[in-house]
Amino acid sequence: MRGTLFLALLLIAPVLLTAQQRSFVACPIVRDTKTVPCFLAEYNGELYYLGIQQDITSEFHPPQLKHEVLVEGRVVEGPRVCGGIPLKPPAISVIKEVNLSCNTLLPAEPGIEAPPAERPAGPSTRHAIAARAPEAPLTGVHEFTALYAFDDDYLDFAANRIVTEAAAYARRIAASGVKVTGYRATSLLSNGSRMVEKPGLAEKRAQDVATVLRGLGVTNVTVDWKTEAEPADGASDPARRRVTITITP
Amino acid sequence: MRKHSSALLTLLLLITSIHLSAQYQSGLKVTWIEPGAGGILPEFDSFDSIDGTLGVLNAKGEVNTDQHPFFTPLGTNGRACVTCHQPSWGMSVSADELRNRWNITSGKDPVFAAFDGSNCPNLPQDKESSHSLLLNRGLFRIPLQWPPRNADGSPKHVEFTIEVVRDPTGCNTSAEYGLKSANPTVSVYRRPRPVANLKYVTAPGPAIVLKTGMLADVDPETGKPVSMNLMSDAREATLSTQAISAIMGHEQARVAPPHNKLEKIIDYESQVYAAQAAHIFGGPLAVQGGPPGLGPAALRDHKPGVLGDNDYDPVFGKFDAWKGTEFYRSSIARGADIFMFRQFWLRDAAHINSIGLGNPLKRTCATCHNAQMTGQDLSAGWVDVGTTNYPTWNEPATWQESSELPVFKITCARDANPHPYLGRVIYTTDPGRALISGRCVDVGSIVMQQLRGLAARAPYFANGSAKSLREVVDFYDRRFDMKLSDQEKTDLINFLGAL
Repeated sequence: MRGTLFLALLLIAPVLLTAQQRSFVACPIVRDTKTVPCFLAEYNGELYYLGIQQDITSEFHPPQLKHEVLVEGRVVEGPRVCGGIPLKPPAISVIKEVNLSCNTLLPAEPGIEAPPAERPAGPSTRHAIAARAPEAPLTGVHEFTALYAFDDDYLDFAANRIVTEAAAYARRIAASGVKVTGYRATSLLSNGSRMVEKPGLAEKRAQDVATVLRGLGVTNVTVDWKTEAEPADGASDPARRRVTITITP
Repeated sequence: MRKHSSALLTLLLLITSIHLSAQYQSGLKVTWIEPGAGGILPEFDSFDSIDGTLGVLNAKGEVNTDQHPFFTPLGTNGRACVTCHQPSWGMSVSADELRNRWNITSGKDPVFAAFDGSNCPNLPQDKESSHSLLLNRGLFRIPLQWPPRNADGSPKHVEFTIEVVRDPTGCNTSAEYGLKSANPTVSVYRRPRPVANLKYVTAPGPAIVLKTGMLADVDPETGKPVSMNLMSDAREATLSTQAISAIMGHEQARVAPPHNKLEKIIDYESQVYAAQAAHIFGGPLAVQGGPPGLGPAALRDHKPGVLGDNDYDPVFGKFDAWKGTEFYRSSIARGADIFMFRQFWLRDAAHINSIGLGNPLKRTCATCHNAQMTGQDLSAGWVDVGTTNYPTWNEPATWQESSELPVFKITCARDANPHPYLGRVIYTTDPGRALISGRCVDVGSIVMQQLRGLAARAPYFANGSAKSLREVVDFYDRRFDMKLSDQEKTDLINFLGAL
């Protein structure tokens, strides 16, 4: 009996997880507050909270007015934030084509407050960007993964840091091989449709990262890419838009 | 009693201002250095500028200009580096002084050389109208090879087509000099940037440029990343490549300068500092106990490459000492606070809003003008704030609008990333960085200028579109809907004029 229940739970879990997943394309909405602005988006008549304005070092990169945004995140239990249901972790991909109808900037209203921000709307108050927690020195074969926004080859601040760290490791151990592999992916939207990244993007991502690695003094770099788009599951799609850097001592 | 005190204060200020005004006027001196004239530049010199004096500091001591390659013609047209980088004009040159030179020399000064000191070399050079952009806006012609080239000389991949839709100078449609000539060339018109405070301008940034996610250009001699903050379009990697390019181009030399001359030019350029030194009402700006960032000596002493977009060590230092003091210094201090802390919506600025910060971004002037002491961008600094692009223009509109400058139509390829806020068809008077990178997202992006010595070198912006600091402030007020009050504008102008 307990075994049957466990099996049932195992079968239901992905469905529950998917039920909490939101993947949609919409115009972002900016809500001013007395501190930093909140970024929101509406889907199926419901307002979702995506995040607040932060610094360039933040994990959340806000969307942009004049552009639609692909939002991929999971509903988080708890009170609304800035009037929206919070999503975590929200992967934000700015759709490249300009859409002038995406232009909603709401004024600050009493009772709507942004969560505490690491940086205020004005100049920074932090004396130094928090250092990443020290990690044990890497040894052996190691794979670094740089993630991308949908249909994008831009190495943002976080991806840039990953590539820089990979280069430092490869140089430190005088790597005998550095294999760069580019991928493009598919996103399964909550409405059942799929968005596939453009052909050629996997190669572009891989070649660009290889160029950067070589420019950072890394040798023995080989480049590969997958021409087929990665499949979508509606939950882990953002993690498949990537370049992996496999470093062999 | 209060009324009498106020009247007395006004009278005192008037007397002081008349006295200082006379002092500054009596200090008028020859302000144009002729190439090859020879002479000695003192360690510190000061020159009249708007409402005060500009200070120029030679950190290595006095400079003998005799046979000095910065001050001596190295090409064929009689110009030297100093022709367009005059100490008295903030190591740049003002449009007013260029007008003055025209009048004094009847247009014969080498600065008016046909190659780039006129709207186009094929125009009658004796006519003032042929030099209108230089005389009215201080703009030199910058002929850029099209398409741009990679370091190995091969053509770069370009993501857009470029058409000339208006050509008031005639140069871009000229059979000899234009886009469809035997040597396809795009002519844009730009202000000369100040050759001073260069340790800040050339301070190298990170190896990966945040704005592109790609490697920064490197110094061809050392292989090390460079700042990409030289020139309006970051096309020159180092002072050395810039000097060679300027001597071969602006001075029309037939051969590149030898290494020892280049070294001497760079040595001079790297030790000269220029900043406003005094104000007609406010007196000396660099004073003990005053704001630590003012005057050229502060530039000499400060460390380059420091981020100032913070509230504890701001871009130009703290101005607290002048808060609540006499009216001019108080105004400067308020202007500094506006620059650092006055929030507004930064919107639709390519390479600011589009690099992960979000659009719009509720921030301040210091977000973009973040490098300590100069107010450039610590990162490679090209941004499209809208000084050259015309978002509302279309083809018919370009004929209804007046423009002294050429207007180009840029059409981006379908597989390229479009300009983040203007899309795939853009009308522009200067595509800026895109003329070098070939990227559509860069159309209209111009490298930020340093904000020092401004009072000596009007007009402003790369295309000279702001005749005064008031027009600069008005531009930003309109562009970002800052809703500045008249007092705030005055304070900002006084602050910028004191830098």
